[in-house]
Amino acid sequence: MILTQESIQEIKEKTAKYPRKKSGILPALTVAYRQLGYVDDEIYHEISKVIKVPYVEIAEAATFYTMFPKKSRGKYLIQVCHNISCALLGADSLISYLEDKLGIKKGETTADNLFTLISVECLGSCSTAPMMQINHDFHENLTREKVDGILETLRSEA
Amino acid sequence: MNEVLKAVGNIFLKMPKGFVVTFKHLFKKPITLDYPRKKNPMTARYRGKHYLERYDDGTERCVCCGLCAAACPADAIYMEPEENEKGERRAKMYEINLLRCIFCGFCEEACPEEAIFLGQVYEFSEDNRNSFIVGKDDMLVPHPRKDNPLKRIYRRVRRVYGVTDKSK
Amino acid sequence: MAEATKKDMPTETAENMVTLTINGRETTVPKGTTVLQAAKELGVHIPTFCWHPKLKPVGACRMCYVEVEKMPKLQVSCALEVMDGMVVHTDSDTVKQGRKAIIEFILLNHPLDCPTCDKGGECDLQNLTFAHGVDDSRFEFQKYRFVDEGMTTTFDDRRIGPEIILNRNRCILCYKCVRANKEAFGEYDLGVYERGSIAEINAAPGEQVDNPFSGNLVEICPVGALTNSDWRYKIRVWLTSTTPSICNYTSSGINTLFFKENHHNKIYRVTSRPSDDIDDGWLPDVTRYGYQIVNSPDRLTTPLVKKEGKQVEATWEEALEIIGKRFGEIKERLGGVCVGALVSPGLDNASLHAASRLMRVGFKSNNIDFRGDYRYLPESSESPFMRLCSRPFKIADIDDSDVIVTFGSDLIREHANEYLRIRKAFNFGNARIFAVNPYQTKSADVSSLELVYLPGTEESVVNGICLAAIEDNLVDAKRGEKFKLKTPTKSSAEAAKVSGVDRESLRTVAEALAEGKKITFFTGEIITRSRQRDLIASALINLHRLFGLKGRAQMSALARYANSKGAEKLGLLPNPRTVVVDKLRGLWGEYPESPARNTDAMMALIKKEEIKGFLILGSNPVMLYPDREFVKEGIEKLDFLVVADLFETETTELADVVLPLASWAEYEGYYVNLEGRTQKAARAVKPIGQAKPGYEIASLIGEALDPEMFQNEQQIHSEVRQLLELDSVIAYPDDFLEVKADTDGSQGDYNLPLYIIDDWHHSGHLTEKAPSLANFASEPYIEIPPQLASELKIAHGDSVRVESEVGKVILPARISEHTQNNVVLVPRNFSSSNVTSLLMRKKRVDRVKISKVDE
Repeated sequence: MILTQESIQEIKEKTAKYPRKKSGILPALTVAYRQLGYVDDEIYHEISKVIKVPYVEIAEAATFYTMFPKKSRGKYLIQVCHNISCALLGADSLISYLEDKLGIKKGETTADNLFTLISVECLGSCSTAPMMQINHDFHENLTREKVDGILETLRSEA
Repeated sequence: MNEVLKAVGNIFLKMPKGFVVTFKHLFKKPITLDYPRKKNPMTARYRGKHYLERYDDGTERCVCCGLCAAACPADAIYMEPEENEKGERRAKMYEINLLRCIFCGFCEEACPEEAIFLGQVYEFSEDNRNSFIVGKDDMLVPHPRKDNPLKRIYRRVRRVYGVTDKSK
Repeated sequence: MAEATKKDMPTETAENMVTLTINGRETTVPKGTTVLQAAKELGVHIPTFCWHPKLKPVGACRMCYVEVEKMPKLQVSCALEVMDGMVVHTDSDTVKQGRKAIIEFILLNHPLDCPTCDKGGECDLQNLTFAHGVDDSRFEFQKYRFVDEGMTTTFDDRRIGPEIILNRNRCILCYKCVRANKEAFGEYDLGVYERGSIAEINAAPGEQVDNPFSGNLVEICPVGALTNSDWRYKIRVWLTSTTPSICNYTSSGINTLFFKENHHNKIYRVTSRPSDDIDDGWLPDVTRYGYQIVNSPDRLTTPLVKKEGKQVEATWEEALEIIGKRFGEIKERLGGVCVGALVSPGLDNASLHAASRLMRVGFKSNNIDFRGDYRYLPESSESPFMRLCSRPFKIADIDDSDVIVTFGSDLIREHANEYLRIRKAFNFGNARIFAVNPYQTKSADVSSLELVYLPGTEESVVNGICLAAIEDNLVDAKRGEKFKLKTPTKSSAEAAKVSGVDRESLRTVAEALAEGKKITFFTGEIITRSRQRDLIASALINLHRLFGLKGRAQMSALARYANSKGAEKLGLLPNPRTVVVDKLRGLWGEYPESPARNTDAMMALIKKEEIKGFLILGSNPVMLYPDREFVKEGIEKLDFLVVADLFETETTELADVVLPLASWAEYEGYYVNLEGRTQKAARAVKPIGQAKPGYEIASLIGEALDPEMFQNEQQIHSEVRQLLELDSVIAYPDDFLEVKADTDGSQGDYNLPLYIIDDWHHSGHLTEKAPSLANFASEPYIEIPPQLASELKIAHGDSVRVESEVGKVILPARISEHTQNNVVLVPRNFSSSNVTSLLMRKKRVDRVKISKVDE
């Protein structure tokens, strides 16, 4: 087992609250992700055994959400919105700028394990497009200069 | 006696007059064709014996979809598909019964893969009925094509500019 | 697929009805109906991709757009419930525009490979694009492509199961396959991963889509994303024509459709012919792929005659001459009673009746039976078990039953169709479902409670349920007293101890039986195959009486084969019921008075050399009778044996004359399913070679003996009709029956119970000849519960020596997924397994010991 006893215990406690077993999939995945920073096929199998839900159901739910990556991510997860409002205001060029700047492709992690860049669907901040979310913080009305500044701050903090 | 003279006169006077037409034609260009040695050039859109095209790398274009057979008004086409090494679809058997075929060209129209064409060949007499059922091997164009490089260039030109090939 | 019927909709009462207008026509439908269903009832067609009559709606494809007045946007009619006063337009310009847009959207990433796609010609997307779509795409970007390694850019066919091929590029994500797999079949080997434009259907990593219903996924796929190798690149659908038929492997009489091509005289595939009363439109794989035996190159095509110890090909005339001579000789020298017959319950009514006529009129012998694979058959046709068999049963009634008990039935292997019904009742209804079995089966998934009893203690379980009810005052006390008089078991606790089921579970079942308003209770093959089936049936009849189930329950022992019920009704038993005998005497003017023998008795007499001549029609007793030595020794002693079968089998090897039998697809036949419903299987193709249907073979043999025996085929049909009209239900006795628990006694070393089963994808002895089914399983195996396997250090695939008192075979091991208790299972479908050589006919439960073979 890759999941620790504490995680399994926590999963059991959280899923016990739901009348239907299937409802426990997301809480269980969240616990696993918090422990490991990733959730892959092996973990799906373990969760499936713990909460007694077919493996397929867990794999379906986990791959649907961007929050449960199969490989571990860098310290800062940059999620750039590429949905309609942001796209119209230049999300695409922003993404390619970030790619150049970080020297990675979309979906990859920098060599120093600091940044992971992905693009996501609407984050609900269309009025301030283009925008991105880094870990739990929104960064809005982005320009290239603004992005440079944000990255600098994060680098220095790290 | 008079009548005898009249007849002799006719021979010498009227016969040459008639032969003038004959001798005039001796020096005209003939309208018939010296067929086996000389062949009539067919029109560009002549619908002769079918042939099956290939891709440039030599794979058959035909995927045995059955649309030509479905379009055929004479029910002359029969085919059986199979799976090739990659798992793709291709014809195991592709037969056209040239005795049934009415050379309407619907198969060419129906083909979604641009695989079957009606060519310029019109000489395919045989001495038995079975030989008129032509298979895939008879119809596939050879790969690589045996003709000279000039022809190949010509065919490309034809494809690009829509000029018709008279040799095939 | 099937039109939604009233049965799927809520019940109709006045206050439950809703009136709405569709396309200017007013209609009244029950509350809870969807607009799509209401329109279908009216005959208004609404195009769909993701809707399936037997699945919950999801509204994934949005093709079923309709315009509802006062609603601002187009609505998906498959998921929209009707409301009073609704005004719906299904054909307005807005709707047309909506559909056009949806088709264009679906086609964005759909490859244009219709010429190579097997669905071409019957594809929903093709048809609806022609009907509603645009002729050009405005999408100017590269289409999204899933590409497997080493493949060209459009080609992505991958095998996700032994039979199923997936092409993710063609998939339009209607989720029908995943939903059917989870909802209707309860299988979790297929899923949807990722989301948005890169969402894909795929098998669970490392798993194969090999469930016994997987063929349905291919059938319901609206595009060519899921195809199977059975139909792959064989023929275009427009070149085939269809023939309605029924399944010959299951007793439900599942309705099927043959796709055949006349020039080749060949069947190309089988699809469902949805019938809500019988099959709901789902086919188990054995039904779908089992037809392949008809096209098999191994079929017998000419009669074979034994000459100098070798079977050589012969003409029908030669074969019939020999048959006439030899049978005539035996009949003259020793009398017709020295001839016996065994017929297959897979044959049609006419064949069965012709065989019965041949034996009873031609040979004046009562030695005829249709049950070639059961031991210790009931002598009388009014024995408790036969009474239980004769009870009426309706498959469709499973749907709205509130209590369902399956007793001694590995359901999915025997009655796959009923398993799906029960699953439906489990998903949609609020039925309490109990599976009572000697080992855990897949039925546990759809059971509220699974009772696992010790093998061979069936009557104790039933008594336990009864006693628990009496003790807890769930039933009439007076009846309880009477019941106790006939039962040696004193208390439910005692029964619980004997049977190994805890008393609480017994009580739960008793409670459900006492409360249930509509109960379905049936027994399966584990009971039918048991030597003590009469004892168990007595216990069940007692239970029926004690709980007063009359009028609120259907309780029956289900027939197993395609025409078992028909054979029963036509009197193919040695001792048919008096009504049948009287009728036959009336029809024929005579009926033999000679002693009647069932399969066991006949085999015993053959061994004693009292039966000299034998006729076998389509049966394979050497392979299937649960005591191979007993049957084989007997049959070898016969003077003259005639066997008619589709293939060369273990039994035909021993025959003096082998006749080629036509399969059910090759002649028109009528079959009686387990409900007693007579259904027709039309002739799809001409019989292969010189094969002949059973009734023709029987009448030709009759004619060889006596030219005037059979008048014509019409006569047989009219006789069959008259016999089927007879009331077949035998009443239960008026009092409780004596039920004395029976035990097998000590088994010494051999203590591991062995059950003979059907493989998930096979049925009987013929299906191993179907290549698609062989793809699923072609080798025999022994299924071992995981705990036992780890004790004996047996891993999946290891060779295991299986020994019983009489035989020994070596089989590869398979670790069981469902069975937990100490029971091993061996499929009977593979001729190479020799599994019946382990069995002894005297045993109630066969016991073996197993050990790993060291390499």
